[in-house]
Amino acid sequence: MSTMVAATSARQAQLHSATPSFPGILRGEIFKVSRQWTTWIMLVFLTGILILPYLIMLIAPNAKASLAAAPLPFLTDQVETNLAVLRVFSGFFLLILTARVIGLEYQLGTIRILLARGVGRLQLFSAKLLAIVTFALLILIGGLLLDALLTVVMVAILAGNLNALNALNTTFWSNTWLYIVTIMISMGATILLGAAMNAIGRSQVFGLSASLVWFPADNIGTVIMTLAYRVTHNTFWQNVTGYFLGPILNNMPNYLLPKGGLTIGAFPLVTISNTQGLLVTAAYCVIFAAVAVILTWKRDVQE
Amino acid sequence: MTDIPDATLTTGSAPRASIAPTRSDEVVLRTRNLTKHYGQRLAVDHLNLEVHQGDIFGFLGPNGAGKTTTIRMALGLITPSGGSVEILGQDIATHGARILPRVGALIETPALYLYMSGRDNLRAVASVLGGVPEQRIDTVLELVGLRGRQKDRVGTYSLGMKQRLGVAIALLQDPDVLILDEPANGLDPAGIVEMRDLMHRLTLEGKTVFISSHLLSEVQQICTRVAIINLGKLVTESSIEELTNSRGEFTVAVEQAGEALKLIQAQPWGGAAHLDAKGMLIAPAPSGRGRDLNLFLTRAGFVPDTIAQSTEDLEQVFLRLTNNGSGDIK
Repeated sequence: MSTMVAATSARQAQLHSATPSFPGILRGEIFKVSRQWTTWIMLVFLTGILILPYLIMLIAPNAKASLAAAPLPFLTDQVETNLAVLRVFSGFFLLILTARVIGLEYQLGTIRILLARGVGRLQLFSAKLLAIVTFALLILIGGLLLDALLTVVMVAILAGNLNALNALNTTFWSNTWLYIVTIMISMGATILLGAAMNAIGRSQVFGLSASLVWFPADNIGTVIMTLAYRVTHNTFWQNVTGYFLGPILNNMPNYLLPKGGLTIGAFPLVTISNTQGLLVTAAYCVIFAAVAVILTWKRDVQE
Repeated sequence: MTDIPDATLTTGSAPRASIAPTRSDEVVLRTRNLTKHYGQRLAVDHLNLEVHQGDIFGFLGPNGAGKTTTIRMALGLITPSGGSVEILGQDIATHGARILPRVGALIETPALYLYMSGRDNLRAVASVLGGVPEQRIDTVLELVGLRGRQKDRVGTYSLGMKQRLGVAIALLQDPDVLILDEPANGLDPAGIVEMRDLMHRLTLEGKTVFISSHLLSEVQQICTRVAIINLGKLVTESSIEELTNSRGEFTVAVEQAGEALKLIQAQPWGGAAHLDAKGMLIAPAPSGRGRDLNLFLTRAGFVPDTIAQSTEDLEQVFLRLTNNGSGDIK
């Protein structure tokens, strides 16, 4: 007896009528990400990083007194610190995730399995992007919930009660929301940067390397521009940093929050308007998206 | 690859000798003037192919002949510079999304998610395709003999096992057309025999198999038709029988072969006659039929001991048509 290769006619009809769908492709992408050890290792690492500032605060000698004396400034500093940490380290997570989702598909050659089954290139790219955005939102929500929980625990440990939380006013919540918006802007720009680099290099190695190098490069770039300005006294070197993505994202809380907020990393060497900060970021996002879409759509798949 | 009965599957006996693929006139894969340029280099040059339903179609050519480029164009991975590819009567440039789900493909080395198990690889592809039940995953794993290793990480698989999993992915949606690029790569001899049997069973079920392979003896054993390309051009497309018998010569065992050769060479139809390395007379026949050659020689006093139609194996044909697989088209 030999097993027949074909399915029975009813099953065959079911199999033949099936065609790739966007929800199916999205499910497939989420399934693949969930099966990668790197995803879970990065999540554990990110959780550890988010917990670290609270641990430091708990053992800081003057923390208890500061909380008791001025609960609102204390909590504002604490929340902004933790959101800044979330912004920076979720960026690393997303760059690695984007390389695993887009670059690795090219690197393993598995992209051809999917495309050769009639999956559209832009359909696949959109599904991948949506899967990454879904994970980004889960990280953001998870990070915020963890921060909220840890803040409550910290207040309870330092003060012995939660009365300090009564000091939180509408300005605090408004500023916190705007700070969260800066995280979302950073996440969006980071995902699009990763997508563009992986589409250019069509490999995880290139995509991850190029996108991880980007932000250190333009942060260090401001130092180089400072030196160039000091040597030449030409303001061009300062002005050009007003168009560097990394420093602008670092300084985004100062563009969005009414009285500014905690920032980490290099800033542009010139003062730029809030509008310029947002427009330059938007321009980078449009360019990254265009590069990723055009290269995905137009190039032959040789992998 | 194992043959394990399953209540959910249709089963039937298929003795090897009775296997006779059912070829129909329906063209399931057709290329029309298919062309691909890479800058100045012409990788595929106005290629016209026709593959009929039920064919096991061998696609042969030396390295760099344009086989993989052709396959990639057929699967929509590479955009042709000119011409078109039709599968199941539909142009894939315009109807690829509808037609390609009915095509299973294995292109070059199997591309797999190395960090996942074999079963999860199939699940990932099934999820994208939609409508593939878990039972079908069991079926194809059984079919390629990987059920025992389905939970192991693919990164730990041997090349042959990866090849089997690649075939399982290709079969996942029970495709009408199967396009396999070097399917026997990495398989051991038993695996090659199983793969051959699988190809035959697929065609018995009305499927069409398009195989690109370097294993010419395998191609000769399993394929019904072959096309040979070289430098992007189609050199020949024919049935195996036509191709291996195409020279119309006969091998004659006869005493005084040298004298018989001189006699035949003096005939208007006998210029190509010669002696082979073993001293056998190789000669065309007056009318192309062996009986007429026999009659001619007998009447001339050279009674043949045996006359057999000269045949080449596919390897000899391939080397002859592709100038030893490396150079210009002959």
